[in-house]
Amino acid sequence: MIHSLDPRMNRLGLPETAPAAAKPALDQFETYEVFHQKKEGAPFVYVGSVHAPEADLAFLFAKEQYSRRFACTGMWVVPTSAITVTEYAGDTESAYDTLPLLPRSAAPAPVDESVEQEEAYAAGEEDYDIFHLKKRGKAHQHVGKVRAASPAEALQVAKAVFGEQRPVVNVWAVRSADVLHSEDDDRDIWATTTDKKYRDAIAYKVQDRIEKFKAENPQA
Amino acid sequence: MDPKLDLLYRLADDQLILGHRNSEWNGLGPILEEDIAFSSMAQDKLGHSLQLYGLLHELGEAEPDTVAFTRNAPQFHCCQLVELPIGEYDFSLTRHFLFDHAELLRFQALADSSYEPLAQVARKLRGELKYHALHANTWMKRLGTATDEAIERMQAALNFTLPYALGIFEKTDAEAEIISSGLFIGEDELQSRWLESITKVLGQTALTLPDLATATPVFGGRHGQHTEHLQPLLDEMAEVFRLDPTADW
Repeated sequence: MIHSLDPRMNRLGLPETAPAAAKPALDQFETYEVFHQKKEGAPFVYVGSVHAPEADLAFLFAKEQYSRRFACTGMWVVPTSAITVTEYAGDTESAYDTLPLLPRSAAPAPVDESVEQEEAYAAGEEDYDIFHLKKRGKAHQHVGKVRAASPAEALQVAKAVFGEQRPVVNVWAVRSADVLHSEDDDRDIWATTTDKKYRDAIAYKVQDRIEKFKAENPQA
Repeated sequence: MDPKLDLLYRLADDQLILGHRNSEWNGLGPILEEDIAFSSMAQDKLGHSLQLYGLLHELGEAEPDTVAFTRNAPQFHCCQLVELPIGEYDFSLTRHFLFDHAELLRFQALADSSYEPLAQVARKLRGELKYHALHANTWMKRLGTATDEAIERMQAALNFTLPYALGIFEKTDAEAEIISSGLFIGEDELQSRWLESITKVLGQTALTLPDLATATPVFGGRHGQHTEHLQPLLDEMAEVFRLDPTADW
């Protein structure tokens, strides 16, 4: 049996040598990408990923991974597999320029909120959320929605709407139906951090005690 | 005992002991993300206990650390449900589900307590308790509709845990006064709201709530009668504190 200074480990009664059970390759949950909103009205920004067996659990996990120590007013989770990604462009270029060029006549028009919208949806078009990466090392940020019949078309429509912006190092397109949004009714779950300093390592001010200990114990 | 103290000790001790128990999963959880979420909720519960011990201190009881770390098992007012060892994850999740539903409904009711400092604390905890219940419900629905093994294990955990969960609602001599003074709606009313709430979630799973008429509630905890598991927990929790109770943290 493993003997540990941690009594919890001893209670598990683990054998000294664990049986090397063969695990199937890639035996893990799907990944989901998480976007959070720092304050009301701010765009949703990419914060990282979680493993989960389904979107509801991904949301539960995302809430604790990514909002516990930061101000947050809303959260979206998206299956990684649902994100369509463009090529990466240079730091001063636009990733939209890497898309295949369409003949001028086929270039899609920006979404207009007209009576044609219902017809467009009926014809199989859907909403897509578009995210831009403005600089390598930063995070993708939501810039708006477009309507299209496929992810490839969504990127072309986004190019028509947002393509003037520079730089855009990378673009993500996600079918809006694949995004799980936090609910307005649950807004109060985000209001947990401000008066909970004990959650932050920075709240534990110990440097003076470390200095004192070092002074009293020069050999340590 | 004064009705306010009686009520606060029960609330605070439940939070402290379950918070400590659930923290035992830290680093041992089934997957990283769940480990973090479960540990995070355990820390929330410790934070809740601190708020409630703070109220007790304002009413003339000892400092929160003294109250939390220097009493022995017979002086604790927690229900026996919260002191049981963490067991397997099916049990810990089921306890989390049954306890946290009662906790959410209890603090929702306490938001209207005639004792304003407690009402304020209850309102402050609302968002966290809502998340805890959402976490529990999502897992119950997921595992309660998953494989045969998952359903079988969750059902066994539910059958085992239910009599202990009924012990949450054990009354004390102060009950009548607690209700008449508007401190709290009372344990019977809470239990009926709880039953409705958990039944709604279990109804979306393949799990069956055991017949409450034949389940014998495990009482005693509210009167200082505890299982053999509580004292070792207290000893372990207070091990460092007791090395030097006067140390400045």
